[in-house]
Amino acid sequence: MDIISQLQEQVNSIAALAFNTFGTLQRDAPPVRLSPNYPEPPPNPTEDSANFAEQPKLMSAALVKAAKQFDALVAALPPSEGGEEAQLRRIAELQAENDAVGQELQKQLEAAEKELKQVQELFSQAADNCLNLKKPD
Amino acid sequence: MATATYPPPPPYYRLYKDYLENPKSAPEPPPPIEGTYICFGGSYTTDDVLPSLEDQGVRQLYPKGPNIDFKKELRSLNRELQLHILELADVLIERPSQYARRVEEMSLIFKNLHHLLNSLRPHQARATLIHILELQIQRRKEALEDIKRRREEAQRLLKESLATLDGQ
Repeated sequence: MDIISQLQEQVNSIAALAFNTFGTLQRDAPPVRLSPNYPEPPPNPTEDSANFAEQPKLMSAALVKAAKQFDALVAALPPSEGGEEAQLRRIAELQAENDAVGQELQKQLEAAEKELKQVQELFSQAADNCLNLKKPD
Repeated sequence: MATATYPPPPPYYRLYKDYLENPKSAPEPPPPIEGTYICFGGSYTTDDVLPSLEDQGVRQLYPKGPNIDFKKELRSLNRELQLHILELADVLIERPSQYARRVEEMSLIFKNLHHLLNSLRPHQARATLIHILELQIQRRKEALEDIKRRREEAQRLLKESLATLDGQ
């Protein structure tokens, strides 16, 4: 995939990771005691707290890795020499050179085809002479 | 359920009755459309250009100007994005009801990022064109050299064979 498409994919994946992180943490967070007036929240099954402690770490590590990947891709962009006008000028130069080389090629091709026809003509004459000079047995 | 028959074909076919004998007796095809046109109630334009962010009602975060340093702007937008993610995390802890503003700012940054990447595409197209032209020039030059070499080879062979026949 070309570099710009990779960058676009990376942006989308950063967005997905960020919002998935918040969504998952919000959904799975164990209840927390807000004020001393209310009693302790009932203890929840242990399955939550075992995996839950590393989830923020894992997800934020993935997010940071994706951001670093994005920076690496940005660094891998080819240097943008000049601007639009410089590119257009280069295109015009290359077109002119292409035309010149094309015409040269055409000339050489025509000369080569002419020579080919001459050689073929001479060859057929020589072959005819050979056939005429060869005495039938 | 009511069914309707299809509309009849347009009556223009009669104009082409003598097309086989005289191709000029029939009307010319319509010229290509330029500018804006309306198709099935929607208006389209033949001038394909990326609409600027202001046209879509989105604030532009990176500086405008003739030549933008894409790498720098992309990196700074990335950092802004990370900062906003952290801000969102803080807001969710302390004042959870105010998430909307932060989420809106994050989506603004994403829109700017995508617009910046999209505006890189014409640049990429021109660079691809330059690359293709260079390759073509190189191939043509190689073909030119090849033809020259073969012609000289053929001349040499003919001279040799002439010398051989003369010496005979």
